[in-house]
Amino acid sequence: MDLLNRIDEVRAQLQNDIQQVGADPQAAENLRIKYLGKKGLISVLFADFNSIPAEQKPQIGRVLNILKKDAEARIQALSEKLKATSSQDEFFDYSLPGLTPAVGHLHPITQTLNRVIAIFREIGFVVEFGPEVETDYNNFQALNFADDHPARDMQDTFFIDEKRLLRTHTSPIQIRTMLKKKPPIRILAPGRVYRNEAINPRSHCVFHQVEGLYVDENVTFSELKTTLEVFAWRFFGADVKTRFRPGFFPFTEPSAEMDISCFICAGKGCRLCKYTGWLEILGCGMVDPNVFKNVGIDPEKYTGYAFGMGIDRTALLKYGIGDIRLYFDGDVRFLEQF
Amino acid sequence: MIVNTNWLKKYTDYSYSAEELAERLTAIGLESNLIPDKAAGLEEVLIAEILAVNPHPNADRLTVCIVTTGEKQFAVVCGAPNVKKGLKVPLALVGSTLPNGMILKPIKIRGVASEGMLCAEDELGISEDHSGIMILDENAIVGGRLADYLASNDRSLEIDLTPNRPDCTSHIGVAREIALMTGNELYKPDINLSESESATSAYISVGIEDQIGCPRYAARLVQGVKIGPSPDWLVKALASIGQRSINNVVDAANYVLMETGHPLHTFDYANLKGQKIVVRRAKAGEKVVTLDGIERELSDDILLICDGERPVAIAGIMGLANSEIEKDTRDVLIESAYFNPRIIRRGSRYLGLQTEASYRFERGADYEGAIYALERGAELIAEVAGGRVCRGVVDEYPKPIESPKIVLRYERTNRLIGMKFEPEWVKKVLVGLGCDILNSNAQEVAVRVPSWRPDLEREIDLIEEVVRIYGMSRVPSTKTLQMIPNISTDDRYDRIEKLRSFMATCGYSELYCNSLVSARATEFGFEPVKPVKLRNPLSQDMTFLRTSLIPGMIAAIKHNFNRRRFDLRLFELGHVQAYAPEEETQARESLRLGALLTGYFDEPNWAYPRRKTNSFILKGLADTLAHEFGVCNLNYSKAENLFFKRLVKISAGKKVLGYFGELAPDYLGKDWDIEEPVFGMELDADFLLKQVNLAKIYKEPPVFPSTERDLSIVVKCEILVGDIMKKIRQNGGDLLREIRFYDLYLGKNVDKNEKSLTFNLLFQADDRTLTDAEVDQIMATIHSNLSRELNARLR
Repeated sequence: MDLLNRIDEVRAQLQNDIQQVGADPQAAENLRIKYLGKKGLISVLFADFNSIPAEQKPQIGRVLNILKKDAEARIQALSEKLKATSSQDEFFDYSLPGLTPAVGHLHPITQTLNRVIAIFREIGFVVEFGPEVETDYNNFQALNFADDHPARDMQDTFFIDEKRLLRTHTSPIQIRTMLKKKPPIRILAPGRVYRNEAINPRSHCVFHQVEGLYVDENVTFSELKTTLEVFAWRFFGADVKTRFRPGFFPFTEPSAEMDISCFICAGKGCRLCKYTGWLEILGCGMVDPNVFKNVGIDPEKYTGYAFGMGIDRTALLKYGIGDIRLYFDGDVRFLEQF
Repeated sequence: MIVNTNWLKKYTDYSYSAEELAERLTAIGLESNLIPDKAAGLEEVLIAEILAVNPHPNADRLTVCIVTTGEKQFAVVCGAPNVKKGLKVPLALVGSTLPNGMILKPIKIRGVASEGMLCAEDELGISEDHSGIMILDENAIVGGRLADYLASNDRSLEIDLTPNRPDCTSHIGVAREIALMTGNELYKPDINLSESESATSAYISVGIEDQIGCPRYAARLVQGVKIGPSPDWLVKALASIGQRSINNVVDAANYVLMETGHPLHTFDYANLKGQKIVVRRAKAGEKVVTLDGIERELSDDILLICDGERPVAIAGIMGLANSEIEKDTRDVLIESAYFNPRIIRRGSRYLGLQTEASYRFERGADYEGAIYALERGAELIAEVAGGRVCRGVVDEYPKPIESPKIVLRYERTNRLIGMKFEPEWVKKVLVGLGCDILNSNAQEVAVRVPSWRPDLEREIDLIEEVVRIYGMSRVPSTKTLQMIPNISTDDRYDRIEKLRSFMATCGYSELYCNSLVSARATEFGFEPVKPVKLRNPLSQDMTFLRTSLIPGMIAAIKHNFNRRRFDLRLFELGHVQAYAPEEETQARESLRLGALLTGYFDEPNWAYPRRKTNSFILKGLADTLAHEFGVCNLNYSKAENLFFKRLVKISAGKKVLGYFGELAPDYLGKDWDIEEPVFGMELDADFLLKQVNLAKIYKEPPVFPSTERDLSIVVKCEILVGDIMKKIRQNGGDLLREIRFYDLYLGKNVDKNEKSLTFNLLFQADDRTLTDAEVDQIMATIHSNLSRELNARLR
C-alpha cells in the first residue's frame, strides 16, 4: 500500500482509539506503546520511510513528522486528562490540618513586663538594670531603712555575708542611677528579686518587680497619681477605677498603695478581691528627703516620685493564674497558653 | 492588731457601720479587714432551755434531753457531757441549716428519734471547741434566734498596721484616728484611784544601770489581791479581739495594753528579792527561763529586769518563770516602762521571740503615756482582783525625753503634693493628731509632736499626715504629664527583648527557672567556678545561686516528661552568679542564654517526616543568633566535659561565646532518671547583646545571574566537613559566594572508612554574567586542591 495512505489510516485509527478510551489511567501509556513504541505503528512507518525513493522523501517525511508530533501531543494531552480525572488526585480536601510553624511562647512574666515597660516608655521612662547580688547599703541603708527598724522585717532577706545580700526589691537601681546621673531622671527598673519566704501558691522566694523613679524640680504627688492612673487604664482597661491610700515604705514619704477596682467583679466583691472590690496593684510615694541626701541630691530643690509593682502577681491577676509556682515549673501545657 | 467596734465606742462616738469603718480606716492608712461575723449562717438556730435530762434507753453515754423553745417541747438525743437541767443552749431543729451548709435530717440514734441537735461551738462555726454543748448566758431569750444573741452589733476588725504606727496598736489609738475623721471628741477614761496609806516607794526602789536601753521605769504596788477568774465583761472584751482569759490580774494588764497600747508587766512581789528593781544589760551567755518554760541563752544586747539578786524579766519581751503571777499571789508589782526600740528589736530578733509587748516596744512605745497606763492598770487590778493600791508610783526617768519640734511650711506642702491646703484646716489636723502648736504664721506652723508618734520626726512626716487625713484619693490628678527631653538610650532592654522574641520565633518556649539551687547543680558547668552561697538559705536544695541555666532547665524537661510531653524546645534568658577565680570577694553576674532540645523538633503531621532533634539544630541556632546579633568569625572546637557526651565550644575570636552538645546519658540517668537524649546549649548573652548592631545598612542585591555547581567527593571519614568547606572557600576565590553542604552518604558503594559528600556551590560576579568556562576553571582548581591536600576523589 502506498505509504501516504497508510499514514492516513494510522491517523484515523489513532483518532478512533483516543475517542474510545475510558477512564483507565493506563490507557494513555498503552496508546503510546501502540503508536510510538519501538515497534509501534508510527515507528514502523518511519522504518518503511527509509526505503522509499529519495524524491518522495521531502513530502512524505513532512507528513510523517506531522503525524508523529500530533500523536505525541494528543497522547500527552490524553495522559494529563486521565491523570486529572483519577479521583484520588482530583479530590481536594481543604479540611486537612494546616502545617503549623514551630513557634515558641514567651513566658507570661516576660509578656507582662514588656507590656508594663511599653506603657511607661511611651511617657518617657528609660529602662535601667542593676545586679541581683547587692550591697546592704544600696538595698537598705541608702533607701532609709534604719539598721534595726522593723521595716526590715517586711523584707526577709537572703544574706551572702555581712555586707552583701540578694536584693529584696529593684529599688537599689534607684540609688545606683541617682549616684550616676543628675536630675532630671526618669527610669524604669525591672528585675528579679528575692525574699526569704516559704514558697506557697501565693508567694515565691524568687519573683520579679518593676520600679519607676522620676526626679526633677516640681514633681508632685498629683502627677504621680496621673502617671499611675494612665498606667492602670492602659494596662487593665479604661473602665477600672483607681484608689490611693496611705502605705509605708522607708524610701518614700508620703507613701501610698494604689488599688484598682476588681476587674473580675467590677468592684462588687468576689473571691479574687477577697470581697473587698479592690485589688492591690502597686506601692508608690514621693522620694524621701533622706534618700536624696544619701545620693547627694538637694531635697529642697528637687522632688521625685517612685513606684514599684510585682510582675508575678500582676500577671496572676491579668491571666487568672491560681498558683504562682506554675511560673517556675516550665510545664509546656502552661507556657503554650501565652 | 484586732479592734472591736463596740470597745472603740468607749473612747469616741461614731456612727459608721462596721463595713464603713473598715473602709474609712483603710483610706487613712490603717488597712482594715472585717473579721467574719460570728452570727453569719446561724439564722435558723434557736435558743432552747433544757427542761430535763433523761437517760437514753439503749446507750449509757447518750442522754435524751427534753428542751423547750417556749412554745413547744422537743426530745433531742445528745452525747455531750455538760447538759444539765435549766441550761440555755443552741438548738438546731430537723430541717434547719447550719453554717457549714448542712441541713439537719430526721434521725434515730440507737433507736430513739431525735427532733434536733444541741450544738457545740465547732458545729456552729464559732470556734474549734467540741468539748461540750455551747452554754449560753442566763439572760438569753428562750425561743430567740442564736444569731441575734451573738450579733449585738459587735464586730471586730483586723488592722494590718504598717511598722511606723505603734500609736495604733490600741483601741485609744484607733479611736483617735476615728475622731480625726468625724471631728468628734476623744475621751480617755478618767482614773479614780483610792490609794492606801502605804507608799509604793516603801516597798520598792528602781535603779537603771543602762539608761540608753531603759530611759524610763515606773512601778506601783497593789497589795492583797485575790487571783481568780476575770469578770464576764473582761473575758468577753478580750475574747472579742481573740485573746484568751488567764486570770483577773493578767487579764487586767492585757486589757490596759489593748486599751492604751502600753505594755504592762506584773510581778508577784513576794518573789522579788531585796525590794528592788535593777535594769541592766544581760551578760553574753547568761541563761534564764522565761514564763513559757523555755530556757534561753542571752546576748549582751538584751536588757534584763532584775530584783536584788537575779533576773526576773527580759525587758520589753517576756517575764521570767521565777516571778510570774501565781494562784496564790497576793501582792502585785506593776511595771510600766519605756525601752529603747532598737534594743528590744535586737533582743527579740536574737531570741526569735516576738510578743505583744516586744511588738510595741520595738516600734516605739509612748514614753509619756507610761504613767497613765500604770494608773489605769492599778485601778483595773484593784477593781477585778480586789486589793489596795499603794500610794504613789516609783518613777525612774532620769532624762525626760523631749519630743521633736517641727516646722511645717505650707508652700512646701502644696508644692510636693500638687494642691493647695488651707492653713486653718492643716492646723486642725495637727491638733487632732495630738500636736501642740508652738507658733504659726501665714507661711508655716511650728508644732511639738505627741509622745505617742515616734514616726513624726521631720517636716515630711507632717506633710504625709496632712495628705493622709485629707485623703489621697481626693488629691486631684494633674491634667498633663511633664516630659523630659531624653537622649539617653535604653537599648540593652531592646536587645534583650529582641533576643527573647527571636528565640520564640525560632520555636523555643521560654522558661523561668529558680536561681536558687542545690550544691550539686553548681557542679554543672563548662569552666570551673566558685558558686555564691547563701548564709541563710530557705532549704538545702536552694543554698546556692545558679552557675548555669542548664540544670534548672533539665528539671523542667523532667517535669514535662512526667506529664508525657516528650518533644521539647525550651530556652531561658537569665542571670548566673559566680566568684571570679582571681577575686574571691566580688560575685560576678552574667546573663546567659540556655536552650534545650529533646524528642522531635516538629509536631506530628500528615505531610512531612518529623525531624529528630540533634546537636546540629543548636549549632544552626548559634550560627543564626551570631549572624542576627552581629557576632563575626565564629569558631567551633571539640571540648570535654563530664556532663556531656559530645560537647562543642563556640568562640568568636579569643572570646568564648558558649557551648553546645549532647548531654551525657550517664548524668541524665543518674541525676534525673532521664533516658531520652537531650541536647543543650548555653551562650554568653552579655557578649551576644554587646555586639548587636540594630542599625543595618542596605546593600544592593547582585544584578547578574548566578551559576550553581554540585561537587560530590569521597574522602576519609576522619576529615572534617568544616575543613573541606574551608578549603573550597580558599580555592573558590571571590566569585564563590556560597557553599551549601547538603548530602552526607555512608553505606553501599562507599568504603567503610570513607564518606561521600555533596556540596552545592554558588558563583556570582557583580559586574558580569559568568561564563561556563570561567566557572569550570574554578571548579577544576577546587578539585585538584581537594584531591591533592585531602585525598578526595570525585564521584
